[in-house]
Amino acid sequence: MFKKFSSEDVSAHNQVKASVQRKIRQSIAEEYPGLEPVLDDLLPKKSPLIVTKCQNHLNLVVVNNVPLFFNIRDGPYMPTLRLLHQYPNIMKKLQVDRGAIKFVLAGANIMCPGLTSPGGVLDEEVGAETPVAIMAEGKQHALAIGFTKISAKDIKAINKGIGVDNMHYLNDGLWKMERLD
Amino acid sequence: MAEKPQPVRVLYCGVCSLPAEYCEFGPDFEKCKPWLIQNAPDLYPDILKESNAKEADKVTEQLQSTAISTGGGDGAASSASKPEEVKRLPGGKIKKKEKPEVVIEKVTRNKRKCITTVKGLELFGVKLSDASKKLGKKFATGASVVKGPTEKEQIDVQGDIAYDIVEFITDTWPDVPETAIFFMEDGRKVAAA
Repeated sequence: MFKKFSSEDVSAHNQVKASVQRKIRQSIAEEYPGLEPVLDDLLPKKSPLIVTKCQNHLNLVVVNNVPLFFNIRDGPYMPTLRLLHQYPNIMKKLQVDRGAIKFVLAGANIMCPGLTSPGGVLDEEVGAETPVAIMAEGKQHALAIGFTKISAKDIKAINKGIGVDNMHYLNDGLWKMERLD
Repeated sequence: MAEKPQPVRVLYCGVCSLPAEYCEFGPDFEKCKPWLIQNAPDLYPDILKESNAKEADKVTEQLQSTAISTGGGDGAASSASKPEEVKRLPGGKIKKKEKPEVVIEKVTRNKRKCITTVKGLELFGVKLSDASKKLGKKFATGASVVKGPTEKEQIDVQGDIAYDIVEFITDTWPDVPETAIFFMEDGRKVAAA
Protein backbone atom coordinates (compact mmCIF):
# COMPACT_ATOMS: atom_id res chain seq x y z
CA MET A 1 0.00 0.00 0.00
CA PHE A 2 2.98 2.28 0.30
CA LYS A 3 4.31 1.21 -3.03
CA LYS A 4 3.65 4.65 -4.41
CA PHE A 5 3.85 7.07 -1.61
CA SER A 6 5.35 10.49 -1.48
CA SER A 7 4.84 13.75 0.27
CA GLU A 8 2.35 14.59 -2.44
CA ASP A 9 -0.05 12.06 -1.03
CA VAL A 10 -0.22 13.88 2.26
CA SER A 11 -3.44 15.77 2.38
CA ALA A 12 -3.27 17.35 5.80
CA HIS A 13 -1.19 17.26 8.91
CA ASN A 14 -2.34 18.49 12.23
CA GLN A 15 -0.89 18.77 15.62
CA VAL A 16 -3.38 16.78 17.63
CA LYS A 17 -4.86 17.82 20.90
CA ALA A 18 -3.71 16.31 24.13
CA SER A 19 -6.67 14.02 24.54
CA VAL A 20 -6.16 12.48 21.12
CA GLN A 21 -2.49 12.21 21.86
CA ARG A 22 -3.28 10.30 25.03
CA LYS A 23 -5.56 8.01 23.13
CA ILE A 24 -2.92 7.24 20.54
CA ARG A 25 -0.36 6.56 23.24
CA GLN A 26 -2.73 4.30 25.00
CA SER A 27 -3.62 2.25 21.99
CA ILE A 28 0.03 1.91 21.02
CA ALA A 29 0.92 0.84 24.54
CA GLU A 30 -1.85 -1.72 24.49
CA GLU A 31 -0.84 -3.06 21.12
CA TYR A 32 2.87 -3.22 21.86
CA PRO A 33 3.49 -3.80 25.56
CA GLY A 34 7.17 -4.27 24.80
CA LEU A 35 7.39 -0.66 23.77
CA GLU A 36 6.04 0.74 26.99
CA PRO A 37 9.35 1.48 28.71
CA VAL A 38 10.58 3.48 25.75
CA LEU A 39 7.31 5.05 24.82
CA ASP A 40 8.23 8.20 26.67
CA ASP A 41 11.32 8.52 24.52
CA LEU A 42 9.47 7.80 21.34
CA LEU A 43 6.49 10.00 21.95
CA PRO A 44 7.70 12.61 24.40
CA LYS A 45 4.85 14.21 26.22
CA LYS A 46 6.32 17.61 25.72
CA SER A 47 7.00 17.63 22.03
CA PRO A 48 4.05 17.97 19.72
CA LEU A 49 2.57 14.88 18.17
CA ILE A 50 1.51 15.32 14.61
CA VAL A 51 -0.96 13.15 12.82
CA THR A 52 -0.66 13.25 9.08
CA LYS A 53 -3.62 12.30 7.05
CA CYS A 54 -2.95 10.77 3.70
CA GLN A 55 -4.99 9.33 0.94
CA ASN A 56 -6.76 6.02 1.25
CA HIS A 57 -7.74 6.69 4.87
CA LEU A 58 -4.18 6.43 6.02
CA ASN A 59 -2.84 8.16 9.10
CA LEU A 60 0.77 8.60 10.06
CA VAL A 61 1.90 9.42 13.56
CA VAL A 62 4.80 11.80 13.21
CA VAL A 63 7.10 13.02 15.95
CA ASN A 64 9.86 15.50 15.20
CA ASN A 65 9.22 15.04 11.51
CA VAL A 66 9.91 11.31 11.71
CA PRO A 67 7.02 8.99 10.91
CA LEU A 68 6.79 6.40 13.66
CA PHE A 69 3.45 4.69 13.32
CA PHE A 70 0.72 4.36 10.75
CA ASN A 71 -2.80 3.06 10.71
CA ILE A 72 -5.63 2.68 8.29
CA ARG A 73 -9.10 3.95 8.97
CA ASP A 74 -9.47 3.01 12.63
CA GLY A 75 -7.27 -0.04 12.46
CA PRO A 76 -4.42 -0.86 14.79
CA TYR A 77 -1.31 1.27 14.85
CA MET A 78 1.68 -0.31 13.21
CA PRO A 79 5.27 0.82 13.59
CA THR A 80 7.30 1.84 10.60
CA LEU A 81 10.12 -0.50 9.67
CA ARG A 82 12.77 1.92 10.83
CA LEU A 83 11.21 1.87 14.27
CA LEU A 84 10.73 -1.88 14.22
CA HIS A 85 14.39 -2.36 13.37
CA GLN A 86 15.28 -0.51 16.53
CA TYR A 87 12.94 -2.51 18.70
CA PRO A 88 12.55 -5.80 16.88
CA ASN A 89 10.84 -7.69 19.67
CA ILE A 90 7.69 -5.66 19.99
CA MET A 91 5.72 -7.55 17.38
CA LYS A 92 4.87 -11.13 16.69
CA LYS A 93 7.12 -12.43 14.00
CA LEU A 94 6.54 -14.59 11.00
CA GLN A 95 9.38 -15.73 8.82
CA VAL A 96 9.30 -16.33 5.10
CA ASP A 97 11.69 -18.47 3.16
CA ARG A 98 14.46 -17.05 1.08
CA GLY A 99 12.67 -17.45 -2.20
CA ALA A 100 9.91 -15.14 -1.09
CA ILE A 101 12.13 -12.21 -0.18
CA LYS A 102 12.36 -10.63 -3.57
CA PHE A 103 8.62 -10.77 -4.09
CA VAL A 104 7.90 -9.31 -0.71
CA LEU A 105 10.34 -6.51 -1.40
CA ALA A 106 8.45 -5.83 -4.60
CA GLY A 107 5.30 -5.38 -2.57
CA ALA A 108 3.68 -8.78 -2.91
CA ASN A 109 1.43 -10.10 -0.19
CA ILE A 110 2.78 -12.99 1.79
CA MET A 111 1.49 -16.31 0.57
CA CYS A 112 0.95 -19.22 2.90
CA PRO A 113 3.44 -21.65 1.31
CA GLY A 114 6.28 -19.18 1.91
CA LEU A 115 5.52 -19.32 5.61
CA THR A 116 5.05 -23.06 5.93
CA SER A 117 8.04 -24.18 3.89
CA PRO A 118 11.23 -25.27 5.70
CA GLY A 119 12.68 -21.75 5.58
CA GLY A 120 9.64 -20.20 7.14
CA VAL A 121 8.62 -19.95 10.75
CA LEU A 122 5.08 -19.62 11.97
CA ASP A 123 4.09 -18.37 15.36
CA GLU A 124 1.04 -20.45 16.15
CA GLU A 125 -0.38 -17.87 18.49
CA VAL A 126 -0.92 -15.28 15.82
CA GLY A 127 -4.57 -14.74 15.17
CA ALA A 128 -6.31 -13.28 12.16
CA GLU A 129 -6.14 -9.55 11.51
CA THR A 130 -3.12 -8.79 13.64
CA PRO A 131 -0.10 -6.79 12.65
CA VAL A 132 3.03 -8.90 12.38
CA ALA A 133 6.65 -8.40 11.51
CA ILE A 134 7.79 -10.32 8.47
CA MET A 135 11.28 -11.68 8.91
CA ALA A 136 13.27 -13.58 6.33
CA GLU A 137 15.25 -16.76 6.31
CA GLY A 138 18.87 -16.06 7.14
CA LYS A 139 18.33 -12.36 7.78
CA GLN A 140 18.45 -10.52 11.04
CA HIS A 141 16.06 -7.72 10.40
CA ALA A 142 12.46 -7.48 9.44
CA LEU A 143 11.73 -6.85 5.80
CA ALA A 144 8.08 -6.02 5.95
CA ILE A 145 5.14 -5.33 8.17
CA GLY A 146 2.07 -7.32 7.49
CA PHE A 147 -1.48 -7.67 8.61
CA THR A 148 -2.62 -11.26 8.85
CA LYS A 149 -5.71 -12.16 6.92
CA ILE A 150 -6.17 -15.55 8.50
CA SER A 151 -4.81 -17.00 11.71
CA ALA A 152 -1.52 -18.85 11.82
CA LYS A 153 -3.31 -22.13 12.35
CA ASP A 154 -5.36 -21.56 9.23
CA ILE A 155 -2.24 -20.62 7.33
CA LYS A 156 -0.83 -23.98 8.23
CA ALA A 157 -4.03 -25.85 7.50
CA ILE A 158 -5.00 -24.16 4.26
CA ASN A 159 -1.48 -23.51 3.01
CA LYS A 160 -2.69 -21.69 -0.06
CA GLY A 161 -3.17 -18.15 -1.20
CA ILE A 162 -2.57 -14.95 0.68
CA GLY A 163 -1.84 -15.37 4.36
CA VAL A 164 -0.61 -11.95 5.30
CA ASP A 165 -1.27 -8.64 3.65
CA ASN A 166 1.86 -6.68 3.01
CA MET A 167 1.41 -3.25 4.50
CA HIS A 168 4.84 -1.76 4.51
CA TYR A 169 8.10 -3.17 3.17
CA LEU A 170 11.70 -2.19 2.71
CA ASN A 171 12.27 0.46 0.07
CA ASP A 172 8.65 1.36 -0.42
CA GLY A 173 7.35 4.89 -0.34
CA LEU A 174 7.13 5.14 3.41
CA TRP A 175 10.58 3.67 3.88
CA LYS A 176 12.02 6.32 1.61
CA MET A 177 10.23 9.00 3.53
CA GLU A 178 12.75 9.11 6.30
CA ARG A 179 11.78 12.56 7.35
CA LEU A 180 8.61 14.36 6.71
CA ASP A 181 8.27 18.08 6.77
CA MET B 1 10.79 -4.92 32.54
CA ALA B 2 12.37 -2.22 34.59
CA GLU B 3 15.16 -1.24 32.30
CA LYS B 4 14.71 0.15 28.87
CA PRO B 5 15.43 -2.08 25.95
CA GLN B 6 18.17 -0.44 24.00
CA PRO B 7 17.38 0.41 20.43
CA VAL B 8 19.12 -1.85 17.99
CA ARG B 9 21.40 -0.06 15.62
CA VAL B 10 20.89 -1.33 12.15
CA LEU B 11 23.46 -0.86 9.48
CA TYR B 12 21.81 0.77 6.53
CA CYS B 13 23.42 0.80 3.14
CA GLY B 14 24.54 4.26 2.18
CA VAL B 15 23.61 3.71 -1.43
CA CYS B 16 20.21 2.08 -1.46
CA SER B 17 19.21 2.79 2.17
CA LEU B 18 18.18 -0.81 2.85
CA PRO B 19 19.67 -2.71 5.76
CA ALA B 20 22.97 -3.94 4.43
CA GLU B 21 21.91 -7.56 4.47
CA TYR B 22 19.09 -6.81 2.05
CA CYS B 23 21.26 -5.07 -0.52
CA GLU B 24 21.34 -8.19 -2.62
CA PHE B 25 17.60 -7.84 -3.08
CA GLY B 26 17.76 -4.11 -3.54
CA PRO B 27 17.20 -2.12 -6.69
CA ASP B 28 20.81 -2.16 -7.74
CA PHE B 29 23.13 -4.53 -5.97
CA GLU B 30 26.02 -3.64 -8.25
CA LYS B 31 26.03 -0.06 -7.10
CA CYS B 32 25.91 -1.07 -3.49
CA LYS B 33 28.93 -3.31 -3.76
CA PRO B 34 31.64 -0.69 -3.32
CA TRP B 35 29.87 0.63 -0.26
CA LEU B 36 29.46 -2.85 1.14
CA ILE B 37 33.11 -3.68 0.63
CA GLN B 38 34.03 -0.65 2.66
CA ASN B 39 31.43 -0.86 5.38
CA ALA B 40 30.23 -4.40 5.76
CA PRO B 41 32.80 -6.73 4.28
CA ASP B 42 31.75 -9.67 6.41
CA LEU B 43 28.18 -9.76 5.12
CA TYR B 44 29.02 -10.63 1.56
CA PRO B 45 32.31 -12.51 1.41
CA ASP B 46 31.79 -13.25 -2.26
CA ILE B 47 32.02 -9.76 -3.57
CA LEU B 48 35.38 -9.17 -1.93
CA LYS B 49 36.82 -11.74 -4.25
CA GLU B 50 35.82 -9.77 -7.28
CA SER B 51 38.67 -8.04 -8.91
CA ASN B 52 39.67 -4.66 -7.64
CA ALA B 53 40.52 -3.49 -11.08
CA LYS B 54 37.07 -2.15 -11.56
CA GLU B 55 37.27 -0.20 -8.37
CA ALA B 56 37.75 3.11 -10.11
CA ASP B 57 34.73 2.63 -12.31
CA LYS B 58 32.63 1.66 -9.39
CA VAL B 59 33.44 4.73 -7.41
CA THR B 60 32.28 6.96 -10.21
CA GLU B 61 29.21 4.83 -10.51
CA GLN B 62 28.58 5.25 -6.84
CA LEU B 63 28.87 8.99 -7.16
CA GLN B 64 26.36 8.99 -9.94
CA SER B 65 23.94 6.93 -8.01
CA THR B 66 24.08 9.23 -5.03
CA ALA B 67 23.49 12.12 -7.35
CA ILE B 68 20.44 10.33 -8.65
CA SER B 69 19.08 9.62 -5.24
CA THR B 70 19.38 13.25 -4.18
CA GLY B 71 17.51 14.27 -7.27
CA GLY B 72 14.72 11.87 -6.38
CA GLY B 73 12.27 14.68 -5.85
CA ASP B 74 12.27 15.46 -9.54
CA GLY B 75 11.41 11.89 -10.40
CA ALA B 76 7.81 12.28 -9.37
CA ALA B 77 7.33 15.25 -11.64
CA SER B 78 8.81 13.52 -14.65
CA SER B 79 6.74 10.40 -14.12
CA ALA B 80 3.60 12.44 -14.44
CA SER B 81 4.49 13.44 -17.97
CA LYS B 82 5.45 9.89 -18.87
CA PRO B 83 2.17 8.44 -20.08
CA GLU B 84 2.04 10.71 -23.09
CA GLU B 85 5.52 9.81 -24.14
CA VAL B 86 4.80 6.14 -23.86
CA LYS B 87 1.82 6.48 -26.09
CA ARG B 88 3.74 8.38 -28.69
CA LEU B 89 6.61 5.96 -28.89
CA PRO B 90 4.94 3.06 -30.65
CA GLY B 91 3.25 5.52 -33.03
CA GLY B 92 4.64 3.82 -36.11
CA LYS B 93 3.13 0.46 -35.42
CA ILE B 94 -0.01 0.92 -33.45
CA LYS B 95 -1.27 -2.22 -31.89
CA LYS B 96 -5.00 -2.20 -31.76
CA LYS B 97 -6.34 -3.66 -28.62
CA GLU B 98 -9.48 -5.56 -29.30
CA LYS B 99 -9.89 -6.75 -25.77
CA PRO B 100 -12.58 -4.83 -23.98
CA GLU B 101 -11.44 -3.58 -20.61
CA VAL B 102 -12.51 -1.16 -17.97
CA VAL B 103 -9.93 1.37 -16.93
CA ILE B 104 -10.31 3.22 -13.67
CA GLU B 105 -8.33 6.35 -13.13
CA LYS B 106 -8.12 8.70 -10.24
CA VAL B 107 -7.52 12.32 -11.12
CA THR B 108 -6.60 14.57 -8.27
CA ARG B 109 -7.77 18.11 -8.26
CA ASN B 110 -7.41 20.62 -5.51
CA LYS B 111 -5.04 18.43 -3.49
CA ARG B 112 -7.52 16.48 -1.46
CA LYS B 113 -10.41 16.24 -3.83
CA CYS B 114 -10.41 13.91 -6.71
CA ILE B 115 -12.42 12.46 -9.49
CA THR B 116 -12.55 8.82 -10.44
CA THR B 117 -13.02 8.22 -14.13
CA VAL B 118 -14.26 4.94 -15.47
CA LYS B 119 -13.55 4.19 -19.10
CA GLY B 120 -14.61 1.35 -21.27
CA LEU B 121 -17.77 0.21 -19.54
CA GLU B 122 -19.68 0.60 -22.79
CA LEU B 123 -17.58 -2.17 -24.32
CA PHE B 124 -19.45 -4.60 -22.13
CA GLY B 125 -22.84 -3.45 -23.29
CA VAL B 126 -23.50 -1.31 -20.27
CA LYS B 127 -25.56 1.79 -20.76
CA LEU B 128 -23.43 4.61 -19.53
CA SER B 129 -26.25 6.85 -18.43
CA ASP B 130 -27.67 4.04 -16.34
CA ALA B 131 -24.29 3.22 -14.96
CA SER B 132 -23.54 6.76 -13.92
CA LYS B 133 -26.84 6.94 -12.13
CA LYS B 134 -26.12 3.74 -10.27
CA LEU B 135 -22.63 4.84 -9.34
CA GLY B 136 -23.90 8.16 -8.10
CA LYS B 137 -26.50 6.47 -6.00
CA LYS B 138 -24.17 3.87 -4.58
CA PHE B 139 -21.43 6.27 -3.58
CA ALA B 140 -23.70 9.22 -2.85
CA THR B 141 -21.75 11.54 -5.09
CA GLY B 142 -22.12 13.23 -8.41
CA ALA B 143 -21.54 10.97 -11.37
CA SER B 144 -21.86 11.99 -14.96
CA VAL B 145 -21.17 10.79 -18.46
CA VAL B 146 -18.47 12.92 -20.00
CA LYS B 147 -16.92 13.02 -23.43
CA GLY B 148 -13.41 11.75 -22.91
CA PRO B 149 -10.31 12.92 -24.68
CA THR B 150 -10.68 10.71 -27.72
CA GLU B 151 -14.35 11.09 -28.49
CA LYS B 152 -15.05 8.22 -26.18
CA GLU B 153 -17.51 8.59 -23.41
CA GLN B 154 -16.48 7.96 -19.88
CA ILE B 155 -18.05 8.26 -16.48
CA ASP B 156 -16.72 10.82 -14.03
CA VAL B 157 -17.49 10.16 -10.41
CA GLN B 158 -16.68 12.69 -7.78
CA GLY B 159 -14.53 11.51 -4.94
CA ASP B 160 -12.03 8.74 -4.52
CA ILE B 161 -13.93 5.53 -4.93
CA ALA B 162 -11.27 3.48 -6.68
CA TYR B 163 -11.13 1.45 -3.52
CA ASP B 164 -14.64 0.05 -3.72
CA ILE B 165 -15.59 0.45 -7.31
CA VAL B 166 -14.19 -2.83 -8.55
CA GLU B 167 -16.47 -4.87 -6.40
CA PHE B 168 -19.40 -2.72 -7.32
CA ILE B 169 -18.81 -3.13 -11.03
CA THR B 170 -18.42 -6.88 -10.85
CA ASP B 171 -21.51 -7.17 -8.70
CA THR B 172 -23.76 -4.97 -10.76
CA TRP B 173 -22.70 -6.13 -14.18
CA PRO B 174 -21.75 -9.78 -14.08
CA ASP B 175 -20.61 -9.54 -17.70
CA VAL B 176 -17.58 -7.61 -16.59
CA PRO B 177 -14.93 -9.98 -15.29
CA GLU B 178 -12.66 -8.71 -12.58
CA THR B 179 -9.69 -9.52 -14.77
CA ALA B 180 -10.78 -6.93 -17.28
CA ILE B 181 -10.67 -4.10 -14.78
CA PHE B 182 -7.51 -2.07 -14.56
CA PHE B 183 -6.29 0.84 -12.54
CA MET B 184 -4.19 3.59 -14.02
CA GLU B 185 -1.23 4.26 -11.81
CA ASP B 186 1.42 6.64 -13.06
CA GLY B 187 0.46 5.84 -16.60
CA ARG B 188 0.74 2.13 -16.12
CA LYS B 189 -2.12 -0.26 -16.14
CA VAL B 190 -2.40 -2.29 -13.00
CA ALA B 191 -4.77 -5.18 -12.79
CA ALA B 192 -7.37 -4.72 -10.14
CA ALA B 193 -7.75 -8.35 -9.26
